[in-house]
Amino acid sequence: MPEEIILETRGVTKRFDGFAAVSGVNYRLREGESAGIIGPNGAGKTTFFNLLTGMFPPTEGTVLYRGADITRIPAHGRVGRGIVRTFQLVSVFDSLTVRENLVLALIRAGKEHAVSARFFLEDAWSGNLPDLSAGALGTVGLREKALWKTSELSYGDKRKLEIALALCLRPSVLLLDEPFAGLSDVEIVEVLELIHRVRKDFTLVIIEHKISRIVDLVSRLSVMHEGKLIAEGEPAEVLADPLVRQVYWGRP
Amino acid sequence: MTERLRRIDILLIAGAFLLLLPFLKFQRTTDYIIFCVFVLSFDLIYGYMGRLSFGHMLFLGSGAYSVTLFAEHVSPNPFLSVLFAIVAAAAVGALLGPVVVRTTGAAFALINLAFNQVGHFLVLIAFARYTGGEDGMSAVFSKTGFLDFQDKRVLFGFCLACLLLTCWGMKRLTRSPFGILLRMIKENETRVKFLGYDTFRYKWAAYAISAGVAGFSGALSILNYGYVTPSFIDTNRNVEVIFASLIGGAGSIYGSLVGGVVFMAISNYLPTYIPRWEMFLGFGLLLLVFRFRMGIWGALSALEAFRPRREGEGG
Ligand SMILES: Nc1ncnc2c1ncn2[C@@H]1O[C@H](COP(=O)(O)OP(=O)(O)O)[C@@H](O)[C@H]1O
Ligand SMILES: [Mg+2]
Repeated sequence: MPEEIILETRGVTKRFDGFAAVSGVNYRLREGESAGIIGPNGAGKTTFFNLLTGMFPPTEGTVLYRGADITRIPAHGRVGRGIVRTFQLVSVFDSLTVRENLVLALIRAGKEHAVSARFFLEDAWSGNLPDLSAGALGTVGLREKALWKTSELSYGDKRKLEIALALCLRPSVLLLDEPFAGLSDVEIVEVLELIHRVRKDFTLVIIEHKISRIVDLVSRLSVMHEGKLIAEGEPAEVLADPLVRQVYWGRP
Repeated sequence: MTERLRRIDILLIAGAFLLLLPFLKFQRTTDYIIFCVFVLSFDLIYGYMGRLSFGHMLFLGSGAYSVTLFAEHVSPNPFLSVLFAIVAAAAVGALLGPVVVRTTGAAFALINLAFNQVGHFLVLIAFARYTGGEDGMSAVFSKTGFLDFQDKRVLFGFCLACLLLTCWGMKRLTRSPFGILLRMIKENETRVKFLGYDTFRYKWAAYAISAGVAGFSGALSILNYGYVTPSFIDTNRNVEVIFASLIGGAGSIYGSLVGGVVFMAISNYLPTYIPRWEMFLGFGLLLLVFRFRMGIWGALSALEAFRPRREGEGG
């Protein structure tokens, strides 16, 4: 059976004032796989995610989802197709309660469309959203904190909340941008365990600059350096690559 | 406020305005009520959606002129006229929305101001033939059944009912997923797009709704005064609603009501005791912005000893 390519880029380049943060990247993601992207700080990993998820259009090149060109489709439209991401700096809504954070994601992924009168006029907590949000929070171990103000959560808990938020959107591709950044060792273990637990349900791409953390998690590793993809393959293979060793450790 | 009191809030609001009556005349109290409707409309885009407008008088004015013109040219029935004014003001909001809601911060404030100025110019000069220009024009409404709005007590009752309806509607709107969406847009609009929502459409909707409610308050003002002048669309008066919202506490229905009443009281009484009271208003505004952002209602809710974690309110 040929594996289907779910997400693909062809020669994508992003320039900021002439500086190429991402440069001519050809990338293919197979459905159901877990892939990693590593590279030093400033390599262009986050910018590449931004191009995949529609934060901004590329300067050149195309992005394809299941073979269809989505280069000009804005972020919200890509989420509708199942392309969901988290952010390097945790991005949840501090001014809301923890469970309020999940309401819109749950509705977006549900059957009900977001232009109905209910969306505008019905109490957000009158239907099945309390149960759904409790379930989603249970998955990440935040059930007891459902009614907390999000600003009162620890950074690690906010990270878990952000992952819950992403899961509520029922991703077909989930892109995690440095999900361990800023977490304590204990929290890293918890989040790793969480990702292991849920990743079977979708295709996963994970950015990390510490290689050791994700070698067991991913079946394929891509290395970015100065905006370019410089190596790709099975983790062990890639880590043995002289060019990669040069970039990472300054020696082949 | 405890959850029990919160459930009967509409009754409590009605009671509070009835309690104002012994201190004020009917017409004055009605004025307070109408201003509260205006503050509520402003709060939807400022307190909840987080967009500060310097031109909200445009929509109050649209309502005020629409109700008058409708009464004169189409039907003097006050209900139909008010209904028309709401629709007309919302239509103006819907028309300008696509341009306005793309912006944030200073650009949003100033584009609103610019449109407000255009509106002011239109009624003052360009369409002076129809609007009476600087002199304005009187509005005459018919009696409908047993309701005669010439009677200030009847009008008071009607306007109070309108305020309660607005509060109820705002409560529904702000506690719904849409309300949560607006508060999310206030905090981080980009993130909302990554939840799969085309934020533009919802901001547009909020803007048009807010415009309609502002038009509602403009129309009621004309019922109360019987006369429309360009002061109802005067850009200089935008500061009033901003101030009221800040005093009471933005992002809360109760805060808007407190702000509306307190501002009206200040602007009614301060001038009799203090000449150049606007200067004190200015200092008050500075104090609010730098030291007291949560407003009176925000401060009161923070004091509550057994405050449940509140959902459904921005701030
Ligand atoms: N919006 C932007 N405007 C200008 N430069 C940017 C922008 N985003 C990223 N860059 C630059 O692009 C380069 C790659 O950044 P980034 O993609 O964040 O790298 P990484 O995630 O691999 O650390 C950096 O030099 C960064 O300064
Ligand atoms: Mg990065």
